[in-house]
Order: sequence, then C-alpha cells, then structure tokens
Amino acid sequence: MAIRANPHLIDELEKYGAQDVVKCYHCGNCSATCPFSGDTFVFPRKSMRYLQLGLSSRLRGNLEPWLCYYCGECSEECPRGAEPGETMMSMRRWLTARYDFTGISGLFYRSPKAELLAITLVALLTGLGFTLFGMSQGSLAVYDGPGAFLPAEKVHVFDWIMAGVLVGLLGINCVRMWWFTVGSDKAVRVPPGQYLKQVLLVPWHFMTQRRYSQCDRKRPWAVHLVLMLSYLTMLVLIMFFLHRLQHGPAIDWTVHALGYAAALGLLGTTLFALRGRGLRNETHYKHSHETDWIFLILLFVVTLTGITQHILHRGGLETAANVIYIVHMMGVVPMLVLEVPFSKWSHMAYRPLGMYFSTLREKALLAEEQDSRTRPEPVAQTA
Amino acid sequence: MPSFASPKKIGVFFTHANTGRLDGLDLEKVMTFALELPEVTVVEDLGPIRRPDPHKLAEWIKDLGLTDVVIAGDTPGYHKPVFTRAMALAGGEADAVRLASFGEAGAATDQVESTAKAAVACAVHDVPFGLAVTPVRVPVHPDTLVIGAGVAGIETALRIADAGHHVHLVERAATIGGHMAMFDKTFPTLDCAACILTPKMVAVGQHENIDILNCSEVQAVGGSPGEYKVRVLRRARRVDPEACVACHACRDVCPTRVPSEFDEGIVERKAIYMAFPQAIPNAYVIDGDNCLWVKSEGEKCGACVKKCPKDAIHLDEEPRSVELTVGNIVVATGFDTFDATLIERYGYGRLPNVLTALEFERLTNASGPTGGRIVTRTVRRKRKTKQEEWIFDTDAPAPRSVAIIHCVGSRDQNHNAYCSRVCCMYSLKFAHLVKEKLPDAECYQFYIDMRAFGKGYEEFFERIKDEGVFVVRGRTAQIQRGDDGMVIRGEDIVHDRIREFPVDMVLLAVGLEPAKGTRHLAKVLDIQPGCDGWFTELNYNTDPTATNRGGIHVAGVCQGPKDIPDTVAQASAVAARVLGSIISGSIRVDRDTVSPAEAAAQASAIASANAQEASWPSEPTPT
Repeated sequence: MAIRANPHLIDELEKYGAQDVVKCYHCGNCSATCPFSGDTFVFPRKSMRYLQLGLSSRLRGNLEPWLCYYCGECSEECPRGAEPGETMMSMRRWLTARYDFTGISGLFYRSPKAELLAITLVALLTGLGFTLFGMSQGSLAVYDGPGAFLPAEKVHVFDWIMAGVLVGLLGINCVRMWWFTVGSDKAVRVPPGQYLKQVLLVPWHFMTQRRYSQCDRKRPWAVHLVLMLSYLTMLVLIMFFLHRLQHGPAIDWTVHALGYAAALGLLGTTLFALRGRGLRNETHYKHSHETDWIFLILLFVVTLTGITQHILHRGGLETAANVIYIVHMMGVVPMLVLEVPFSKWSHMAYRPLGMYFSTLREKALLAEEQDSRTRPEPVAQTA
Repeated sequence: MPSFASPKKIGVFFTHANTGRLDGLDLEKVMTFALELPEVTVVEDLGPIRRPDPHKLAEWIKDLGLTDVVIAGDTPGYHKPVFTRAMALAGGEADAVRLASFGEAGAATDQVESTAKAAVACAVHDVPFGLAVTPVRVPVHPDTLVIGAGVAGIETALRIADAGHHVHLVERAATIGGHMAMFDKTFPTLDCAACILTPKMVAVGQHENIDILNCSEVQAVGGSPGEYKVRVLRRARRVDPEACVACHACRDVCPTRVPSEFDEGIVERKAIYMAFPQAIPNAYVIDGDNCLWVKSEGEKCGACVKKCPKDAIHLDEEPRSVELTVGNIVVATGFDTFDATLIERYGYGRLPNVLTALEFERLTNASGPTGGRIVTRTVRRKRKTKQEEWIFDTDAPAPRSVAIIHCVGSRDQNHNAYCSRVCCMYSLKFAHLVKEKLPDAECYQFYIDMRAFGKGYEEFFERIKDEGVFVVRGRTAQIQRGDDGMVIRGEDIVHDRIREFPVDMVLLAVGLEPAKGTRHLAKVLDIQPGCDGWFTELNYNTDPTATNRGGIHVAGVCQGPKDIPDTVAQASAVAARVLGSIISGSIRVDRDTVSPAEAAAQASAIASANAQEASWPSEPTPT
C-alpha cells in the first residue's frame, strides 16, 4: 500500500508544541533510555522518524504517545537537544485532535485564543443562566434549604445532563481512537475474546496509573496520582452526594472528610504544577503549551472557588456564598464542557484506553508470531 | 560599450551571512571608508536579506546609473548570481559585478576592520586582494621551538632537524612519544604502532639538532614574530638522564606504588619509574608528588640514592627556567580523551569491566600489563587496607562477549558537539583485535553513523563485518550490573528492536578533547582557541597550519581531531612552512599590519597601471 507523505507534518505538530524534531539524528538513545520501550513498541525515536518523514497515517494509528508519561529522561539525555519527550507530548495533543470528530479539539490546540474565547463565552453563558435561574425560583440570600438560590436537587439534575452529553461526546471519540489504532489495521487481528479478557486493564490503569509508577522518577507519578484521585473523589461526591455536601450548617463528616482531603489534594497538586511550570524546574515542566496553562489555571480557580463558597456558607455569609457559587460554576462548566471531550482532560479516557489497546495489539502480534512458528513449513513440490 | 575614459559609478553593497566570524566588525566604519573611495557613488547595507529581488536591484542600478557593483561581506559570493542578473537587466556588463570577501581576505581575526576596508578598496579598484596587500616580512631566527612531543611534534622536529636546523622539543611528560606510544595497532593497516613510532623516537633522542626538554612547560613567550623569546620551566627530573643507564636497581627498592599514567592506571608503577622500556630519554624519573623523600623533605627513605651505581639520582634537584630564542614555534600539544565518568549511565568507574579506549589499548598491547591477553578485570580486596582494587590478572577468564559503544562524549551537545573523527575507526580496530585474539567471543559495535572516511577505511569496515562482528546501528543508553556481569541495552534501529543482553566487557569509544592546559597555552602564545577549544588555523582551506600570529604554527590533533596519517601529513606541512621561512631568512608577519589607506593607494596604483596598459592602441607589430 502506498503511503502518502505530508511534508508539512512537522510544521503542523509545532503548533501542538513539538520542538526541534528536525534535530534528531536517530542514535536511538531515547528509545534505549525509556523503561517502557520494549519489543513491540520501540519509542520515541521511531515516532520522531515518522514525523520527519511526514507519515501522518502511521502517526494517527500510533499508540506509543499514550504509553509515554513524560518523565523527561529521553529529553535530558538526547545528544541533539531534539526534545523527544516534548514531541511525544505534542503528539498526544495532535492525536486528541485526530480522535475528536467535531474538529473543535484541533482548533483549540492550534489557536489558544479560540479556546480562551470559547471558555469565556461558556463561562458568561453559565453565569447568566444560573443567575437567571436562581432569581426565578429562590433568593440570593439563601444558600440551602427551601427558597435556596441554587438548590442542590436542581443542580444535581443539571450535572447529570451535562455528564451524559460529555460522556457521549468522549465516547464517540474513543470509538474513533479504537478504529484508528486497532480496528482499521488489517495487519493485526484481535480476537473478540481478548477484548473481554483484557478489559479490566482500563479501570486498573485509570485508578492506579501503574505504568507511570514504573518510570525511574516516582515524584511525578505521585503528584499525578494525587491530582487524579482527588479529582475523581470530588467527581463522585458531587455526582452522588451533592445534597449532603451542600446541606448545612452542620458538617456531615462521612462525605466531608473525603471532600476536604480531595480539595486539599487538588489545591496542593495544582499549585505544585503551576509553580513547576512557572519555574521550569523539571524536564516535563520545561515547555508549556498554552492549553497546559489554561487547564491548570481553570482547575485551580474551580478548586479555590469551591473551597471559598464552602467556607462562606459555613461561616453564615450565604449571599456571598451564592455569588461565589456562580463564579465556581462559571469555571466548572467550561472546564468540563470544553476540556473533557476536546482538550487536555480527555487524556483520562485516552490514556487507559491506550494501555488497553496496546496490550491487545501486543498479544495479537505475539499470537501471530507463534502461529507462524508452529505452522508446518510448506513442502516443496518435487518433480 | 563604455570607453575606458568614461567615469565609473560604483555601488558598494554590504551583505550579511550568519557565520559569526564578523561579530566584532563595526560595519558603519567600513561603509564610511568605502564612500570615500574614488568613483564610489553609493554605499548600501542590504541587511540580513536572503535573496534580493533582481528586478528591484536592476531598477536601483539604472536609477543611480551604476557602472560597477561591489558586493562586500563575509561570503558575498552567495549574492553574486542575483547581482549579475540585475546588472544584465539594467543593461550593464556582467563582469562589472565584483566581490569583496572579508572571509577570503582573512578577516576572521582581530584585524577584522582593517582587512575588511582593504578588501573593499581592492574590489573597488578591481585589483586582487593578494596583489595590493602584501604582507610585511621580517628576518627570522633559525631555531625552532616545538611544543609537544607526540607523533606530530616528533615528525615536525625530525623533518626540520634533518634539514640541518636546530629544534627545541618541549614535552610535559618525562618521555616523548605521546598517545601513539600507548597504542597497540594502527588502523586500517593494523601496523604495530610502536614499530613505527619508537625508531622515530630514537632518532629524535640521538639527533644532534634536536634538544629534548622533557618534564618542561612553556611559561611565557615574549618578543615578536621572527624572534620569540620563550621561557621554559624545567621541572625537576631528579634523575640525570645522561648518567642513568636504566639498570632498574632503584625501581626495585622504591617502596611507593601509584597508578601508571602510561598504562592508563590499569597497573601500578613505582615513584621512581620509566614510563615504558623504550622511553626517550631512556632514563628513570622521579614523580615528586609521590616520592617519600620529596614529600617528607628529606626525612624519610632515599633508598634509591644508595642503590644507584651511577650516582645519577639527585633527590634535591630544583626546577629551573631556561630562556630560548626561536624564530618559529610549532604547537603540537595533542589531546586528552573525554572523561567517561561524566556519562553515568555507562557505568564507567562503577563497573570494573567498562573500559575506555586507551585502557583497552594498553590491555591488548603486547607490551602491556597482561602481555596482550584480553581478560576481564578482577575485583579483590587489598590485604592490608581492605580497599577494593581492580586488577587485570593474566589468569582471569577472557570475556565471552565484548560491546563497543561509539560516540562517547562526541556528537553530543551535552558534552562535545563535534565528531572526534577517529573513534569509529579505532572501534573497528578493537573489534578486529578482539576477534583475532578471542575467536569465540562475540563482539558488538553500537554506532550512530559509521564514519569510515579515509583511504582503505570503508574496506576495513567491510572486513570487520566479514570477521563476524555484530554491527548494530543505534547507540546504547545503559549498562547495568546483571546477574552475571553486565547487561547492555540499546535500540537496534535497523531491526526495530530494543536489544538487551549480557556482556562481559564494554569498551567506550571516548572522544578527543583539547589537552589540559590548551587554553592557558593559547593565552601564553597569544593565539586563538576556537569555541570548542582546538586551536584555530588561519584559514581552514588555504592555510590550515598557520595561526593568526606570524611564525606560530599548529600541527596534529591540537588543531582539531585527526588520525595518525593526517597528523603526520600536517606535521610535515608545518615543517615545510618552517623550513621555507628559515631558508628565505624571513617570515610573513601577522596581518595586523594591513593598512586600509596603503592598500587603497596600492590598489589604485595597480589599477591605473592596468588601465594605461589596456588603453594603449593595439598596433600590429611591424614585420
């Protein structure tokens, strides 16, 4: 099959944050340094090659970027300063844009201005909507109970509708990811049984980020895991126990203990990451794409406003708590609506799926190899 | 066609190339100078433009009525086609476009401004630079100083001395020979290095015209080209080389053991030692930093003095300085190898069987500590101090597999960005030696690009492959302690695999770096080291052995990494240059004597003479 080369692939990837890909002279240092690089998936050098050759189609079906956690060792030891780690990062952004069927993702990554504009727009709409909704049925001076400005039950319904839409969007993108990386590849036939057999890998990697912990450096993994688990805890609390969280003034410790831990976790890790990116004190913080900043700042604002409204409410300042609640929602809604299906947040689905699909591919390839070995040699016909 | 009498209108256009060589140039001054030249009507700085539009240029030329164009800059030839086209479009003559190339005129040195001005003046007058700017010559002293007595210094010294002129050969170590004396074989011919070098060393030692100053360093250089006054520090040898007969009696009684520099520290020597049996001068020397007597200021030991049958040992010898007067100075200070401990992942210094190239060179050398047997290093504890020591035991097992890693410290922007040029080939030589001595051992080469660039080198590479060496494209990243020896991990790019397998011995093809003290010597000599530390030649293409100071030459690796044939060739070239100056009795002084005004006057005179000649009516000669 002929492969079409795209001579502008590197230029395109540069918009997604790739740096100095052309400098690579293929010594293989990065691939040998990476603890994840093995027999089936040898990276990141090969991806650098695909980029230099402009093989978009190969790159689109490439799962390797999802196997990389950007510990930065490859970039540090690169003799050419070709930044393979950052290239893998930018390829994850580029792949996110390829998986996204709406094209919004690509627009956001290529033009941070567009993303900022969209976030502002959604934030304003959210603010307006919640204010009007609150005015129509409650009083700004009441935070919970009858006549509340934003009653927990109503917000709860809104949350679930939003979650449904987002999961739908992300789900379609995930199916596209499967098609690009496994489904459409005729060279690899994954038996349906394998899909079931390995399916537990998805929640396993999602919850533990086991692979990240295998990088030589453990701290980035710890920070990432705390951030992720805090976020997940908060999500579960909000989706299922919102009314218990908002009910006051007594503190329901069964949910609040978890809530406080999660809030602290989010605050600590976002601050840590923001500081690191500001100081560029670690290799994976050295280059920040605009979307990294937007994501972190949004998350930080959401966490801070969430904590503030809680303090205000418990402190009896209900009007102020309601105002901050709206500000909080103006952060939450754009963060979820725009970041989850179209931007950085989407990797919480793609990454565990990447592990899952890569295992499927690896098993299928191994089975094929064994198959061809056990198959009897064709007997040469003698005259 | 314009007649010769019609006045010219010349435009001078300055272009820019990012070579970095003209960073210190004040272009404004050169432009002002150019505008004052006769017939120059316009001077323009084109700025950092890649390709000017020929049509616009043509309009410009037409509007200004230019008859001639001079393109000035570091590499102005780049723009010549565009200007020639513009000239043609404007209806002018194509050959009226001339170049004032600062780079070619040698403007890369500190006289950049005057050279640039002179180059512009010559181009305006249409006179070749070399014709108008003739360097000043001064009388030269017939003696020569050669700094460094490796193969380059030895070759230069011998050539000059053989022609009948006196050479002072300064060497920091106690013996001459340099790195080549340590080598086992040379590539690609697999000649015995010692068999080539030691006869030359002996010739140097016996030459009536060569005066070896070993244990010496150049401290200060005064005077001017043609007659340099050099002060050389002669450190205390403490053994008189004239009296010593190398009977080894002193060595046997000396109680102090230290790692031998000549053997790259893989064996020990005494504090009174001879680097190797063929050392020149063939005499013992005392290492003052480790000698008990010297360290205790005469309190302890002194055993060697009592034992010496020739009274050759003078433990209280003091360092002294000598003054030399020389006409030419040849710098041949060579290199040091890259410090492999800087790349931690290769485990050098942590893993006993990770060796550098020079260590292996000594190990495999027939006159080395194991008599040329390739064995793995044994780790044991010293009996007295219980310290771990690594030794090469002749009875130790031979390695079953040897991996050679290329480009250690070279082609790496974290260390040295340049290619060290010799490592690919000496690695192939190592592979051959391993295969020759241990036919059952597996040998792997991990390389990025195989640089087999010389005569017979590619053929040598093919030969090595035929010998059964595994040549893996890809640089290894890690060597780790394994259950049984070491495990090496690297990407095999051709086969798209990560290779991870156990090896018994790893050889690091360490790159070359300027010898220690090169920058200091550059300061003393007032010549320029380049950004990566090697001495800068006056002109890479046309004058690769001269420096920016008259009468100071560079030979061998100190000018840039090169192999033995190239080193010897350059050393001979330097000898020719030195002999040329001695025979003519004068040398060309550095170009700081270039005077723009003089050059302009000279060029103008030549131009008018040419014009006069051309305007003579060409009459048929009467028969």
